[in-house]
Amino acid sequence: MQSFFYDTYIGLLILTFAEALALLVPLLIGVAYLTYAERKVLAAIQLRKGPNVVGPFGLLQPFADALKMIMKETIIPAGANRLLFLMAPMLTFSLAMIAWAVIPVNAGWAIADINVGILYLFAISSLGVYGIIIAGWASNSKYAFLGALRSAAQMVSYEVSMGFVLVSVLLCVGSLNLTDIVLAQHRVWFCLPLFPMFIVFFVSALAETNRSPFDLPEGESEIVAGFFVEYSAMAFALFFLGEYANMILMSGMTTILFLGGWLGPFGILPQLGPLWFILKVCFCLFVFLWVRATFPRYRYDQLMRLGWKVFLPLSLLWLTLTAAALMVFGWLPNA
Amino acid sequence: MIANIAFYVCSIILLASAALVVSSRNPVHSVLFLILSFFNAAVLFLIAGAEFLALILVIVYVGAVAVLFLFVVMMLDIDFAELRSGFQRYLPVGATVGAVLFVELVFVLGGWEFAPQAPVLRFSPAPANVSNTAALGRLLYTDYIFLFQAAGILLLVAMIGAIVLTLRDRKTSRHQSIRAQTDRTVAETLELVTVTVGAGVKEIGILRPKPVDPEPVEEVHHGN
Amino acid sequence: MNWVLALPEIVLSLVAMVILIFGVLRQDDSFFLSSMFALGGFLLAALLVLTTGSGIGYHGQFVADAFSSLVKILILAGAGLSLILSLDYNRHNHIARFEFPVLMLLSVTGMMVMASASNLMTLYLGLELQSLGLYVLAAFARDDLRSSEAGLKYFVLSALASGLLLYGVSLVYGFSGTMDFAALARTLTIPQSASPGLIVGIVFVLVGLAFKISAVPFHMWTPDVYEGAPTPVTAFFSTAPKVAAFALLLRTMATPFGHQLIAWQTLIIIVSVASMILGALAAIGQSNIKRLMAYSSIGHMGYALIGLAVGTPEGVRGVLIYLIVYVFMSAGTFACIIAMQRRGRPLELITDLNGLSATDPALALAMAIFMFSMAGVPPLAGFFGKLYVFLAAVQGGLWTLAVIGVLTSVVGSYYYLRIVKLMYFDAPEEPFDPRPTALSFVAGATGLFTAFFFVFPAPFVGAAQAAAKVLFG
Repeated sequence: MQSFFYDTYIGLLILTFAEALALLVPLLIGVAYLTYAERKVLAAIQLRKGPNVVGPFGLLQPFADALKMIMKETIIPAGANRLLFLMAPMLTFSLAMIAWAVIPVNAGWAIADINVGILYLFAISSLGVYGIIIAGWASNSKYAFLGALRSAAQMVSYEVSMGFVLVSVLLCVGSLNLTDIVLAQHRVWFCLPLFPMFIVFFVSALAETNRSPFDLPEGESEIVAGFFVEYSAMAFALFFLGEYANMILMSGMTTILFLGGWLGPFGILPQLGPLWFILKVCFCLFVFLWVRATFPRYRYDQLMRLGWKVFLPLSLLWLTLTAAALMVFGWLPNA
Repeated sequence: MIANIAFYVCSIILLASAALVVSSRNPVHSVLFLILSFFNAAVLFLIAGAEFLALILVIVYVGAVAVLFLFVVMMLDIDFAELRSGFQRYLPVGATVGAVLFVELVFVLGGWEFAPQAPVLRFSPAPANVSNTAALGRLLYTDYIFLFQAAGILLLVAMIGAIVLTLRDRKTSRHQSIRAQTDRTVAETLELVTVTVGAGVKEIGILRPKPVDPEPVEEVHHGN
Repeated sequence: MNWVLALPEIVLSLVAMVILIFGVLRQDDSFFLSSMFALGGFLLAALLVLTTGSGIGYHGQFVADAFSSLVKILILAGAGLSLILSLDYNRHNHIARFEFPVLMLLSVTGMMVMASASNLMTLYLGLELQSLGLYVLAAFARDDLRSSEAGLKYFVLSALASGLLLYGVSLVYGFSGTMDFAALARTLTIPQSASPGLIVGIVFVLVGLAFKISAVPFHMWTPDVYEGAPTPVTAFFSTAPKVAAFALLLRTMATPFGHQLIAWQTLIIIVSVASMILGALAAIGQSNIKRLMAYSSIGHMGYALIGLAVGTPEGVRGVLIYLIVYVFMSAGTFACIIAMQRRGRPLELITDLNGLSATDPALALAMAIFMFSMAGVPPLAGFFGKLYVFLAAVQGGLWTLAVIGVLTSVVGSYYYLRIVKLMYFDAPEEPFDPRPTALSFVAGATGLFTAFFFVFPAPFVGAAQAAAKVLFG
């Protein structure tokens, strides 16, 4: 039986498919409940109740929303580029999904534990901009296009400092493999020694996912809804799901890079690996929502200033410091 | 076997999308096909076992360079008809030059013969037991450190050049002064008035922000 | 690893970065200070070139020897003189920005890398580093349409040439399996071993380098760029980059491809003859002195190429002496051209020089010395440059080349002497603005060098001899 799954093409295919399902189904349910959690958390912060009608405590609200979306008509604007218009949301959504292929939820629990996992994640997250820019262009609408341009510039800008953060983590690990990165944190999670980088990374993650306070690409007040102003029904739902899946992905990345992945604090209860991972992701997600409820939106020039004039020099400086410290104290891995 | 199939499929898509880059009518489509061909090139790298190069290709070219391409192409208002108007006229010349070059290439490749020492002189044979990321890093930062640094300076020059030629301080643009913003006090910005119940604009008068002396627009020069 | 070998380059780029930081942080005028720093950097680099030893470093990618030292000193001298020329000009023409010396420093770094290249990759990177700086410098007066055009034209054509060069490099690499000069020389010891692909590769490399020294038929950019670029930049163009590109050409042809002489000799001869003829004939009709200088430089490159065509140490010695003379002659001429100003406006017409001997005899004398020297009148420096090259050609059996060289220099002397005639025998016009001291200094120093070269040629000839020997060693 084992040889069937591991040695034949068909078996491998079935195995991979099953693994993907085992990961994606909980993920999608997580995405659905993240929307619910967002509304509940915002409501709590704003002293409201939030959804509480559909099902007990409003728990069925996400499914009601999904049903509503499916029932509606997908409208394609006149003059839009049909193919690209429909491709953009699918692209956004599928990119948010395929990134999960390399995320290790527990020791050895990754669909593909590849050598260059972190580069893969970085590559996928840098592709996210295409969904938005294509959507903005294909919609044939000024607002959508403005939103797309904003987001392209924003995501490219914040990727730069994100790259430096990744490099400083890699310096401490000596490997691009995600499992190795987590295991390297068995003594101390990287969020402590690399605290400034942790902050830079998390804020850049906010910008990469176009979440507030960096949600200028949507900017309801000036450009209505930015790049997805023309989308409706399932196409819209895909963007929506993609955004939330990206939030979870970024939280997962933060967890792996800085919060010790599936490792418990002080090494307690190592058998609860996946649970620790989920807990940490939930914490990051809560911070995402918390930030949204707390901070007003950045102005565009402030956004660019923060990215290029604050984060870039800061991450560069900290990278140099990290490298110097590793070199001076002889902490370099694999040295 | 699967690797072979993947190789041929990706190569075919790569070639086809490369052809479409130059032949498609809409420049945005051209850029998108360009991205597709980058992708397939990355997959070819993967098949060859160079996973680091594959992902760097995606990150750098697809994730950054092509985004800027797309950005520019979308912003440009290109007249496609005009762009193609010369096509017919220059086709014979272009085709002739292309044909000559092609014949030359065939001629050259026909006589392909490695110098006998070539295999020995190969600079960097693939090392065993080292992941190709580490191998590349080792080569780049030890053997080729001089070239690496020279390339870095080259990019610095390009950056200085772009800034020198394009950066202009517009006298009209107003810069944000965070210091001034945080230094403001309540007394400077707020005026509290007691409004009697039922009083309208007529009675109170329209309240406007306190007149601020317009800041003298400083002439900021870069360098001169 | 012997990283000290590249110390001059390292120091130059560090100086450039320090000036960059200094200029960005200092909001007010910093052009003069930056230029002084840059001049100091040039001096320091020259000292380091003289003191650091010779050898091969960086895994065979970088070589420091007598040849590279001589060329580097020459490059630094040319760049330093041009920078001095720019001090007042840039201020008058509102392009006095601190990036100017920075770009010059980095460009010179590239040129020095070119002089030390012993690997095709180093060659390419040095060349590109040099060119990128030059594109921007040519377009430095960005509000001037002609300057922007010059920069753009140079950029586009140069990019094409770089493409050809790269294509050639890839062919050479593909057919020989190495990019290292020494290894290439070993691989190509037997002339018959070269495959046609390799020869095509060499030809493409040659084309790319010929573009950089503006030899016919790859000279199209020269007149426009010379005319459009700010004059100190033109002075820079006509000195340091020419030397660097020529040095690269010499080293590439002599060291790795030296045994393939028969493959490229004819090509060099053709290019050389074409350059000499075009340089002599096309300059006659010019009325703009910067364009005239452009054609003149094309002609001079043609003469210098004779030495390479011979393919012997004597020939290379001749080329090096020619370059030494040419750098100082050319810098001096441009000092005189920059001095041509009336009421703060720079002048560029040859007729503006009318009767200069009456209004400014010193300037007229200097200009006359440079013109006579360029024409090759003994006993000025230019004569010796030509003498050594022609001598090598005769010794090497290339009689025809030497004869054509003499004939074209006779034709060429027409327009040089015409300028002298205008200055001394035409009716004087309104005098030029008073000269800044820097210009007088450059014109005086280079004028003295040009006039009295015949008194002390020995050290220069000796250095050139030693440098040429290294190349064929």
